[in-house]
Amino acid sequence: MGVTKEDVESAIAAALSPSHLVVTDTSGGCGASYEIEVVSEKFEGKRLLERHRLVNTALAPHMAEIHAVSIKKALTPAQAQPQPEPAADKPQA
Amino acid sequence: MARLVSTALVRGIARSCRASSTAAAMAQPTFQQFMAYSSQVDDSNANMASSTTRVTADPDTHQDFQPTSKGSDSSLHDIVAQDIKENPVLIYMKGYPDAPRCGFSALAVKVLQQYGVSISARDILSNMKLKESVKAHTNWPTFPQIFIKGEFVGGSDIILNMHQKGELKDLLGDVAQKGE
Repeated sequence: MGVTKEDVESAIAAALSPSHLVVTDTSGGCGASYEIEVVSEKFEGKRLLERHRLVNTALAPHMAEIHAVSIKKALTPAQAQPQPEPAADKPQA
Repeated sequence: MARLVSTALVRGIARSCRASSTAAAMAQPTFQQFMAYSSQVDDSNANMASSTTRVTADPDTHQDFQPTSKGSDSSLHDIVAQDIKENPVLIYMKGYPDAPRCGFSALAVKVLQQYGVSISARDILSNMKLKESVKAHTNWPTFPQIFIKGEFVGGSDIILNMHQKGELKDLLGDVAQKGE
């Protein structure tokens, strides 16, 4: 039922060929809420808004069944290198 | 300018045509040809059932003549455009700033409130058509949606990110100064 973590992962992987991808199901199991971290070369030269649009577009076929997507990180490989960040607070859906 | 006005006129006519189609056709024969055209488009529109996108089925139809079959929606679209233009800090959210009905909306409001700017907010949960209009306007699937100085900034993830990086401060700088 609904969208699985694997669905989300494969949709993003197919669209963005990410070098790093973490999808976390934050729905508590119903598959309606995800947190996403992506590192992709395709983000190069793009503003955050445009990066999120790329992710949104990749997920568009699933969005009807997903209630909430939180894109925690959308970085280029270069940006992903230097700064290890503490986990951000999680807003819930 | 003149062209704009005439476009608006044609739109107005197209609307009134649809509103009182047969009666108007009899009363005003000059419009008959246009009417036929318009009803033809209506048919193709009907075939597309509940499609929410703009009707483009008939390639010969100039967009001015497309009676999109959603008069109320297109006026809502105008409201969205006007909202964005008139409110330097605008958020379409679930619930209200004092009573948000979604964690993401609450977060976005909280972030914006750090800057002491006055925030205009609209609750999209209480108006499904408004919700769809906003989504169509920005081509963005989720709420909240934040607009600053007429420009779509993004959702809660983006606003939080900009806050953390200090970008939001720059963006809101002159809005905060103006007070308002």
